[in-house]
Formats: sequence, C-alpha cells, structure tokens
Amino acid sequence: MAHKKSKKWLWPTVFIGPHLILFIVFFLVPVVFGLYISLTKWDLFNTPKFVGLQNYQTILFNNNSVWHEQFINGLRNTLIFVVTSVPFLVLVPLLLAVLLNLKPHMSKVFQSIFYLPNLFAISAVMIIWNFLMSQSYGPIKSVFHSNVDILNSQPWAWIAIVGVTTWWVIGGNMIIYQAALNGVSKEILEAADLDGANAWTKFTKIILPSIRFQLLFTTVTTTIAQFNVYGQPLMLTGGGPNNSTRVLLMYIQNNTFGQGTSAAGVSSAMAILLGLVIMAVSLVQFRLLRQDN
Amino acid sequence: MTNVQKRGKRIAFVILFIVALIWILPILWGVLTSFKSEAEIQKLGFTFLPKQFTFSNYGKLINNDSAPVFHWFINSLIIATCSTILNVFVVSFAAYGYTRLHFKGRDALFTFLLSTMMFPGIVNLIPMFKVVDFLGWTDNFLAVIVPGAAGVFNVFLVRQFMLGIPKELDESALIDGANEFQIFRYIIFPLTRPVLAVVALFSFTGSWNDFLWPSVVMSSVDKLPITPGLQLLQGQYTTYPGIATAGAIFALIPTFILYLFAQKYFLQSMSLQSGIK
Repeated sequence: MAHKKSKKWLWPTVFIGPHLILFIVFFLVPVVFGLYISLTKWDLFNTPKFVGLQNYQTILFNNNSVWHEQFINGLRNTLIFVVTSVPFLVLVPLLLAVLLNLKPHMSKVFQSIFYLPNLFAISAVMIIWNFLMSQSYGPIKSVFHSNVDILNSQPWAWIAIVGVTTWWVIGGNMIIYQAALNGVSKEILEAADLDGANAWTKFTKIILPSIRFQLLFTTVTTTIAQFNVYGQPLMLTGGGPNNSTRVLLMYIQNNTFGQGTSAAGVSSAMAILLGLVIMAVSLVQFRLLRQDN
Repeated sequence: MTNVQKRGKRIAFVILFIVALIWILPILWGVLTSFKSEAEIQKLGFTFLPKQFTFSNYGKLINNDSAPVFHWFINSLIIATCSTILNVFVVSFAAYGYTRLHFKGRDALFTFLLSTMMFPGIVNLIPMFKVVDFLGWTDNFLAVIVPGAAGVFNVFLVRQFMLGIPKELDESALIDGANEFQIFRYIIFPLTRPVLAVVALFSFTGSWNDFLWPSVVMSSVDKLPITPGLQLLQGQYTTYPGIATAGAIFALIPTFILYLFAQKYFLQSMSLQSGIK
C-alpha cells in the first residue's frame, strides 16, 4: 500500500516539484517575510526588531518625519508619471496600429521600427536619450535653438520622461491592437459602408467596441507596469530638479540598498503601501471599464 | 480599390513615415556618435555624421577596469542563456504536470498560483534580497538566474497551449507502454515547441534587460550584467558621449540580432499574451 501511494506521487513531484519549490522559495517566503519586516526596525543584516504598525504610522501620518515626506513626494511623483504616461502608452500605439492596418507601403518595416525599442535595455536607451537632451551636447537643443535645460527644469523634465517612455515601450501594445483590429468583422464594416457611415462613426461604433477587451487588458497591464517606474528618472534626471521627478521606487531602493545604514523595515512598509495602491487602482480600472460596455 | 481607400493609404504612409523617423533617429544618432572621436564631439558640439569614423570609443571599453563593458557583456550572455534554459525546462515540466497528470488538489493549486499573478512584484524586492542572502547567493550569478523561473505567467501560457494537444496522442503512447516522462519527452515537448520558443525569447530578453534586481544583488563591479552595468558607465562618462553611447549601442546588439532572426515569434507572442480571455 505504502509503495503504491509513493508511486502515485512520483510523477507529480517530478513535474511540478521544481517549479513549486522555486515558487515557494522565491515568491511565498518573500511575501510573508516582507509583511513581517514591514513591522520591524531593520538594517538588512542584524535581527529585525518588532515595532508593530509604527512604520506605517510614521510613513502615513507623521508630518515631522523624513519618511513621511519621502513617501508623499515619491508617491505623488509616481502618480504624476502614471497619469500622464498611460494615456500616451495606450493611444499612440492604437493610432499607429490603425494606420498600419490600412496596409500602406512598408508597413512591415514601420512595424519593426516601432516595436524594436521595446526590446532594448532601459539603461542603454536612457544613456542615448540623456545625451540627446543634454544641455552641453544635445542635438535636440541645437535643432530647436533653445536654451531650455530640458532635464533640469519643469515641466520639461516630466515631458522628457513621459516622451522617452512612450518611445521605448509602445511596441507591445501596438502589436496587440494590430491583432485585435485584424479580428474586427469585415462584414459589419462593409454593411456600415453601405449605410454611408463615415470613418469616425465606424471607428467609435464598430471598431472600438470590438477591441474593448484588448483595450482593457493593455490599460490595466500598462498602468501596473508604469507604477514600477524607476530607471527613466534615475538615468535621465536623477530625480531632479529639486526631487520633482524622484519616484517612490528610487526612495525605496536608496533607503534600503544605498549608502549609510539601511532602513529596510520602513522601506518594506513603503513598498507594501505602493503594492496596495497598485492593486486598488487595477481593481478600480477593471470595474470602471467593465461597466463601460 | 476605391479612391478613398487609396488616399487613406497614402495619408497613413506619410504619417507613419514621419513617426518612424522620430523612432529611428535617436538610435541612428547613438550609433553614429559612438564612432566619433571625443575631440570631435567636444569641439563641434552637435553633428549628425562623424567627420572621421573611429573605433577608439569601443577600444576604450576593452580592459576598462572601472567600467568593464566587454566583461559585463559576457556575464549577461551567461546569465541570460542559463535563465532561458532553466525557464524552458521548469516551465514545460510544470505545465505538463498541470495538464496531463491527475493528482488530488491539482486544479485548486493551479488556481492559487494564478491568483498570485495579481500581486505586485515590487513588494518582494527587499525580502527577496534576504532570501538570496540566506542562500549565500549574493554576488553570485545564481541570484539573477534562478528566481526568474519561479514566475507563474509562463506556466500559464504553456499550459494553455498544452490543453490544445489532443489527449488521444498520450493515450495511444500509454497503451504502447510509455511512462509519463517518455510521453512528455517524445510527444508533448516537441509539439509545444512554438510556445516554448516564445518563453525562451522572453526569458532571454527579460534577463538581458533586467535592471533593478541585479543592481541590488550583485555587489562586485566585475560580476554585473551589462544592463545595470551601463548605469555605472553613465556615471563615469557623463562628459564623454562617445564612450557612453558606444557602451549603450554594444548592449543592444544581442536583442537586436535575436529580433532579426525570431521576428515572427516576437510578434506572435504579443498576441498570445493578450488573446487569453
């Protein structure tokens, strides 16, 4: 009997065991441990000291604390980035997909050009754009004969970060929209033609409703992804001018792994609060967009 | 084709052409700048074409102790290749388990895995560092290779694909006396190759482009992968656009080549991801 039982579990162990072990060690354990250390004072190496909800209280309510100031500024900047970038990251690729699906000359070449930056490493992309927009060597400055120090003045710094992000990541959404647009029923579009519907009516009344699932999906995934913004402000503006582009992840990274004593406990609490914001926003988006149709 | 349609195509072409220029010029400028001498850049300011083509910037990246770009490049190749292989095996094994094997609690377990996909990964950054530290993996390639294979999305993707493979195929093999491993090895694995190619491409590019995690967990300069390494390069050469862009362009080569050869899979993969309802 015992022998039979062990044999029954042999293959499940062999096949799902490796993934399950990795999942437990590198997902479940960190989740639980992360919740715990957010309730402690911890420097990353010595034994964490339990302090209850004190970190959360400080971050959220203590006006005199530097953590509170950082959290508010970081979260505010992260939200500014999400709110300003997501519309571009959905609408620009949608427009490009619509144009590409008219199948003009070279549409395959254009598609590759728009898709490629999406595969490039963030640091490489930011080095190039940093020089493009720099005050001393930047071609953009020379071309427009402007004295604006793009990366060191607002609102230009945000425009630069959102613009470069758009350039960098729209490829994925564009391909998704292209596939979705291909699936729109040709018969219905032809019937609309016969009824004399113009292009705008066809777009809003037939095409948009047909691709609403993909629009919902990409809006939610894009929003979640943009909440994790880090590399663009880090390498373009360094968080400046005056910390106006310093996003929450930059504070979390620096307070935990930067110079000086690590504030891993407080930073964990900040990360969990950011996670809660992300989950709340994606839930609301799901609800709103579901109701819409 | 009607005149309206023809005009629409022409307008689309003009708009796309202009946007494509905006998309391609930064990269082109980066490539050209990497071949200009520093003296030329400092003296002339902005130019598009180099007056004199030079490889000196790339030369300065070799044997560079403070920013060993070539060394980082090799590190990245090793790390990305190992992650890819590990991912393909772990993921295809797990997907087989969740589609073909019958054991108690299988579907409940998988539903639980799926539900964790909503969880924002950023929350795990700090505790994950401690887990890796506990395993003694800090400053070790294992730290940037192994955790990536714990993801659920790829298992889900491959499982969806495997569900589409007819069960009759395995059953006839079972009758012929094959065991589970043989069914996996000789029937399911080969048929799953198209979706595994997608998993492999995403593992490779994902690992190559990973930025924050390796910068946190790798402390020695000479063990860094190239993507976080370039941040150091930028810091050291803020006033040397030639050298810094040479490093950046160099880091783009593998993903660019991969795209040229596997374009079809990259484009398919995006629709695979969104086609899941």
